[in-house]
Amino acid sequence: MVIWRKSLLGALLLSCVGMVGACGSSSSSPSASASASSSSTSTSTAAPSSSTANPAVAKLVPAALKSKGTLIVAADASYAPNEFIGSDGHTVVGMDADLSKALAAQMGLKASVVNATFDTIIPGLASGKYDMGASSFTDTKAREKVVDFVDYFSAGTSFFTKASGGASITGLADLCGKSVSVESGTTEETDAKGQSVKCKAAGKPAVNVLVFPTQSAANLALSSGRAQISMADSPVAAYQVKQSNGVFKLVGDTYGTAPYGLALPKSANSAPAVLAALKVLESNGTYKSILTKWGIESGAIPASEMKINGAIS
Amino acid sequence: MSASELSDQRTGRPDEIKAVPVRRPGRWIAAAIVLLIAASIVRSVVTNNAFGWSTVGHYLFDSRILHGMLVTIELTVASMAIGIVLGVVLAIMRLSPNPVVSSAAWLYIWFFRGTPLLVQILFWYNIAALFPHGLGLGVPFGPDVVHYTHANQLITAFVAALLALSINEGAYMSEIVRAGIISVPEGQTEAAQSLGMSRLQTMRLIVLPQAMRVIIPPTGNETISMLKNTSLISVTAYAELLYASQEIYDVNYLVIPLLIVASIWYLVMTSVLYVGQYFIERRYGRGFSRAEQLTMRERWLSIGSRQQ
Repeated sequence: MVIWRKSLLGALLLSCVGMVGACGSSSSSPSASASASSSSTSTSTAAPSSSTANPAVAKLVPAALKSKGTLIVAADASYAPNEFIGSDGHTVVGMDADLSKALAAQMGLKASVVNATFDTIIPGLASGKYDMGASSFTDTKAREKVVDFVDYFSAGTSFFTKASGGASITGLADLCGKSVSVESGTTEETDAKGQSVKCKAAGKPAVNVLVFPTQSAANLALSSGRAQISMADSPVAAYQVKQSNGVFKLVGDTYGTAPYGLALPKSANSAPAVLAALKVLESNGTYKSILTKWGIESGAIPASEMKINGAIS
Repeated sequence: MSASELSDQRTGRPDEIKAVPVRRPGRWIAAAIVLLIAASIVRSVVTNNAFGWSTVGHYLFDSRILHGMLVTIELTVASMAIGIVLGVVLAIMRLSPNPVVSSAAWLYIWFFRGTPLLVQILFWYNIAALFPHGLGLGVPFGPDVVHYTHANQLITAFVAALLALSINEGAYMSEIVRAGIISVPEGQTEAAQSLGMSRLQTMRLIVLPQAMRVIIPPTGNETISMLKNTSLISVTAYAELLYASQEIYDVNYLVIPLLIVASIWYLVMTSVLYVGQYFIERRYGRGFSRAEQLTMRERWLSIGSRQQ
């Protein structure tokens, strides 16, 4: 009898746990985005910002974001000078990080910039894990179906290769039959694969597109000869060639100049506030000084081109 | 039976003894509760739209996914084959009385178990960055039999993946094989030696066949593990199953359904391995334990019984 009672108690406990578990799994919690635990390591927070909040901008900030007080910004920190890990080994630094902090200050929020793999950022925005994606996103019509963009910069795509013995090409059309390393989820991946289809249609050999989780891995594949060419956004390609101390060189022409956009979840309705904050930064000179700090002021856009969802392709 | 008892039967028979099997209500209640919990989990998963089941169905038999599955199977089979051979060789080297040989084996096992598999994969894939002037195979410190001007000509992406997986697996297998070998009683080795068998003959004819019973379950485990480890090869842009699903979701942003597609195929492949392992274990368990010889049907039918 004692044994019978013990097993009944155990069974009742099990069923209670099971009920709770089954109920919990059917409703997701989109608002709990403060848990940056599953994206890798570090965050960097701005100094207290309520004193520099712009009242006109703060008025446009959605209530949910205002009450949270923190703007969680995701960036793939393998893309210098736009976003990369600083010398302390864990803080995300770069043009996008600086811009995010300045924008959050204008909105009366604190920015927390976290490192996340590039192809997880847009899904993370859609699921409410992040409030903003500032990771050199090219604003494209395809991406606008999933998230909203506030355009803030202009960049094209450049090619780079090994300085000695690298491939010599002029543009996308020369990629037929070559091996190209790109980062996963980027427009460069789309362009290289699109070019491969065109090559095969023209009867030429396809492009061997090697897709890597980070730009660093793509660069490593280039230096170890797995790929003959790599493609990246023009400011990033230029910076990497400079930092490589003669290992890489730029090759071919920059193409496809298009706007960068700060990615925002459609449901959060935060695009008007971010756009207003951006225009304030442009008018008071902060925008230009951030770009100049990283040597990429050539990609600056005038206030008239700063808009929501301004994709050109 | 005595004559008096027989006469009792014709007149006032005692009641037959009603032998009732031991009732085990706890088993039935536990089974019912487990089934209830399982049903509610299944219901919550199936009716949850975020899983994107229609997308899962659409891409489940996509040619890129199926090709990726084939590549995964190739890598698993090839790496396990090389890994098991390496493991046996290393285990024997470890148990060798020659100190140089056993130390060399120890060093190999220490290094390849001590570094992460992902790092090993990245090193093998980018090996040309370590040998920029090409690779030569030949006599150590002597002439090359064959020379490759570029390391990638010899170590292609597939070869790099194979090397990384099998060399890592060899280190882990060697410990499993060593465990199997030392589980065979020393008396067997002594008896073999007293019959005049050489060390190699003893190992091959007496020790290893008996060690197989202890080696098979963890090896099955390692094979199932290897099936999943091949997903790490996706960081080298090699088109195995996980990379194939990543390529698809990079374009359509439907991450969860595509990952479910990959998971379903990994589960299917793992299940096939389960069946294989079951039959191999029964074969090598002959003569040891009766319980291991029950078929699956016999096990299920005995749920209400007194045994076990």
